[in-house]
Amino acid sequence: MLLTQLAVAGIQTGMLYALTAAGFALIFGATRVFHVAHGATFILAGYAFLEAMQMGAHWAIASLVALTVAVAFGLFMDMLVYRPIQKHEGSFFTVFVASFGAGIAMQALIQFFFGGGFATISLPLTRATELLPGLYIAPVFWVALAVVLLVFAAITLFLERTHAGLGLRALSENPELLRAYGLSARRLSALAFVLGSALAVPGAILTTVTTGIQPADGAHVMLVSLAATVVGGIGSIRGAALAGLVLGLVENLVVSVVDTQWSQAASFVMLFGFILFRPNGLMGRAGAR
Amino acid sequence: MIAYLVNLATLIAIFGIAATSLNLLIGYAGIFSIAHAMFFGIGAYVAAQVALTFSADFLVAALAAAVAAAALSLCLALPALRVRGEYFVAASLGLQMMASTLFAEAHGFTGGVGGLVGIPPTRILGFDVASPDAFLVLALACLALTLLAVRTLMRGSFGRSLMALRDSESAAEAFGKDVRALKTLAVVIGCFFVGIAGALFAFHMAFVNVESFTLEQSVVLMAMVIIGGAGTLTGPLVGVIALLSLPAALSFLPFIPSTQIGTVQQFIYGALMTLLMIFRPSGLVGLSRGVR
Repeated sequence: MLLTQLAVAGIQTGMLYALTAAGFALIFGATRVFHVAHGATFILAGYAFLEAMQMGAHWAIASLVALTVAVAFGLFMDMLVYRPIQKHEGSFFTVFVASFGAGIAMQALIQFFFGGGFATISLPLTRATELLPGLYIAPVFWVALAVVLLVFAAITLFLERTHAGLGLRALSENPELLRAYGLSARRLSALAFVLGSALAVPGAILTTVTTGIQPADGAHVMLVSLAATVVGGIGSIRGAALAGLVLGLVENLVVSVVDTQWSQAASFVMLFGFILFRPNGLMGRAGAR
Repeated sequence: MIAYLVNLATLIAIFGIAATSLNLLIGYAGIFSIAHAMFFGIGAYVAAQVALTFSADFLVAALAAAVAAAALSLCLALPALRVRGEYFVAASLGLQMMASTLFAEAHGFTGGVGGLVGIPPTRILGFDVASPDAFLVLALACLALTLLAVRTLMRGSFGRSLMALRDSESAAEAFGKDVRALKTLAVVIGCFFVGIAGALFAFHMAFVNVESFTLEQSVVLMAMVIIGGAGTLTGPLVGVIALLSLPAALSFLPFIPSTQIGTVQQFIYGALMTLLMIFRPSGLVGLSRGVR
């Protein structure tokens, strides 16, 4: 039963990783920006939700606040940080360092105002009930499952069926041609940041109400998203989501084999192996490096 | 006060060596490693073990530390040869995370989270260099040697080939440069020097544990190089001095509670990295040429 319990926990973590990593992959795929400040988006959304709840807001309003904050931060990074850099030079590393710096600064800012410890709120949803003998599942698990499936369906529909979604996919393949067809690359990249940042919100809120959130989660989420994007195949949203799910599962399941301390390392051994032996990832196109 | 300044100067010399060696990778070879704290740690642990079990002579311990770091740097050279850009950054990140876990868990060699304590004071060929002043001279001498070595290397054929490689790998290859050998050599040399820095660090602190060799430390080292100016000889030093003097400067400001100094410091260097990349990507010292 322990294994099933761990698998359930793994799926729950993995689903949230999947969404967040999909956001990262969406931004990277469309704009080629390695947006490692994505982890900061995650904790910003979590703390915004928490603050709103503590001020007595309804959970739906609080979620909206979290969404607004996350999207605003994504747009801020796109317009005031990445765009100026890309205007004058914009090598991969310059953008990466700028993003990294912004992530560190934002994490420090949150720590300054809210402290470095865990912050959480208790909801009736998170109280676990015994589903099978020895298997405890909180109702929030089903909520998470529903939310993740819904969001994925929505984002897939959007990318495949709408003009803007088609534009986003075109942006990653050939920005020059896009401009020639009269589409605004700038507006599409802003759209990528809006969608990508929004994808971090469900994970942030569900983490806040289940395990609690802390500023250091920003770095952790950043690492997981980055690992999932590489393992899934750079540019593939579905690959990143799948890899996020796998990373969450691995992180929880290795506990049954080795000590807890090794669980994070297991993910990175996997990452390192993928880069060396299968750099195109699970679902990447050949020659994508 | 004097003791404090001597301590700060010693740390500046140690991190000066570490940042200069990282600059060899980031600034000259275009290998964007965020696993440098790993090799700093390997140097420190090896020097500590040599001092604890075999000999506290600095030359022996530092040489062992540097050789161990250089040998293990092949773990980093492997992905550097196979992938570039974001893939390499991700690979070095993975390596750093594995190393942090190993440092914390390999109790036999690293002492686990508790670390290695009671590292004996070092000596050189029988001369005692345990006093803070003498140790500062030793650290400064090592820094000077490192700077001299990097300067000589970068002015010679190796350095020029390396920079050609950084600017355009395919062009360098077309001119008959052995890309694989050059990259491997750059990684090995960079990690050799950070091994020495690790040895100095172990003797200076007389105590090492995993806290000093985590991803955060790698990021701080990267910030030192980038803020100072990657690809310049003096840039990393300027970055080291700026970042290490920051906590001291902040403690003079009355409105920041002392428990928050670390957080404020983190905010400042994070914001500084972002602002520099927007307005002056070549760093404080760098020419207006841009980091590549």
